[in-house]
Amino acid sequence: MSTGSSDTPHVALFDYGAGNLHSLAKGLEAGGGRVTITTDWDEALGLDALVLPGVGSFGAASQALAGHEARVREALAGGYPALGICLGMQLLLSESEEGEGGGVGLVPGRVRRLRARTVPQMGWNDVVARDMGDPVSGSLDGESVYYANSFVCEPDDPGVVTATSTVEGDTFAAALRTARSWGVQFHPEKSSTPGLALLRRFLHEVAS
Amino acid sequence: MLRPRIIVCLDVQDGRVVKGTNFRGLRDVGDPVELARRYEAEGADEIVFLDISASHEGRGTLLETVRRTAEVLFIPLTVGGGVRTADDMHALLRAGADKVSVNSGAVRDPSVLTRGAERFGSQCVVASIDAAWTEDGAAGPGWYHHTHGGRRPTELEAVAWARECVERGAGEILLTSIDRDGVRTGYDLELTRAVAEAVSVPVIASGGAGSAEHLRDGFREGKAAAVLLAGILHDGLTTVRALKSALAGWDVPVRPAPAEVGT
Repeated sequence: MSTGSSDTPHVALFDYGAGNLHSLAKGLEAGGGRVTITTDWDEALGLDALVLPGVGSFGAASQALAGHEARVREALAGGYPALGICLGMQLLLSESEEGEGGGVGLVPGRVRRLRARTVPQMGWNDVVARDMGDPVSGSLDGESVYYANSFVCEPDDPGVVTATSTVEGDTFAAALRTARSWGVQFHPEKSSTPGLALLRRFLHEVAS
Repeated sequence: MLRPRIIVCLDVQDGRVVKGTNFRGLRDVGDPVELARRYEAEGADEIVFLDISASHEGRGTLLETVRRTAEVLFIPLTVGGGVRTADDMHALLRAGADKVSVNSGAVRDPSVLTRGAERFGSQCVVASIDAAWTEDGAAGPGWYHHTHGGRRPTELEAVAWARECVERGAGEILLTSIDRDGVRTGYDLELTRAVAEAVSVPVIASGGAGSAEHLRDGFREGKAAAVLLAGILHDGLTTVRALKSALAGWDVPVRPAPAEVGT
């Protein structure tokens, strides 16, 4: 069920109630999307795609998700397109070391703390693509993107990881993909030109 | 590889970027939205808005300025000045700030750091420490934290205070040397290193930048994760692009500036 035309994908930006959604909404619009900010899972799963933003704490976001994990997982596993950013990527997994509550469980695996002296990882880090052919993350190879995270995703199946970054010797998933759901650990809306290009490619995938 | 960052700081008052001249009087130097965008295009890794508005109206204007900036700026934006409560933080984050820096508010009530970290994540919470060397400090000679734009001394020794801020939830420390601020003789490397070695979060060195060498030393000797710049850029003495190119020449792995447009 789509409410937008095929050229203008209409994406639901889910609001956990904390943090900056403004830049991400503008970045998605700049990438050719129409954005509705919502706290309603019916609406979030009833447009052209779901975007889980990367702001807030795991506990707070998990609370917003509580009771809806199964339907979100089924929609995404069934091919409803999604992009999870930072914390939003971590919510695609099942469990986290960070806080109470769980994620959607679309990607079996756990969220673990970065193995680095200086945490959070705050700043620009380089991406190495593992799957150059991935339509969303493949062309990020060699680009610097902006991270602000203490935790990273460790999927049980390393095959879902499409790109990595390394901080203080700890190599982690920069991007992953399952069905038509992508997760990125960095913030595309804060990663200047390469980040905006990623949002555009995601929207292109949604429309195709 | 995590890249050392160059952060550009803009003092904002009543919706305009201002600059102090000769310790008195402020000069209007432009529109914050336009200046922030220009610095992004030059290769700045982040922007900081420090609100120095004194009035209630000024603070309302700040939210509008942040909103307008977040619409067009696609690098991180930190906003500070007058933040006292988690609700103040919430208002700035909702307007479009990515991080909020807290100074006097954390001294008055350090639990604001914890509440902010619980609600928004510690990566949003920046503790701003303004330190000056004090011979007769409360716990002996050392660097002591100052509030109210560096004018009011406290009994908080800066390294211990930095540790406490991190324990309470701060995800980053913005460390300004009052002694070096505006002097352009380089960052206070001893102070920066003392704090960077004492805490587990990134430390931003601020106060004293006059040249690319100072930035290099801030990273290498001060162990700073990021350096903050204001005056030398606003006065047109150099550009982010030129600084990054000099740093790259010394093998400091900064993020390269984007290709120049229209040249």
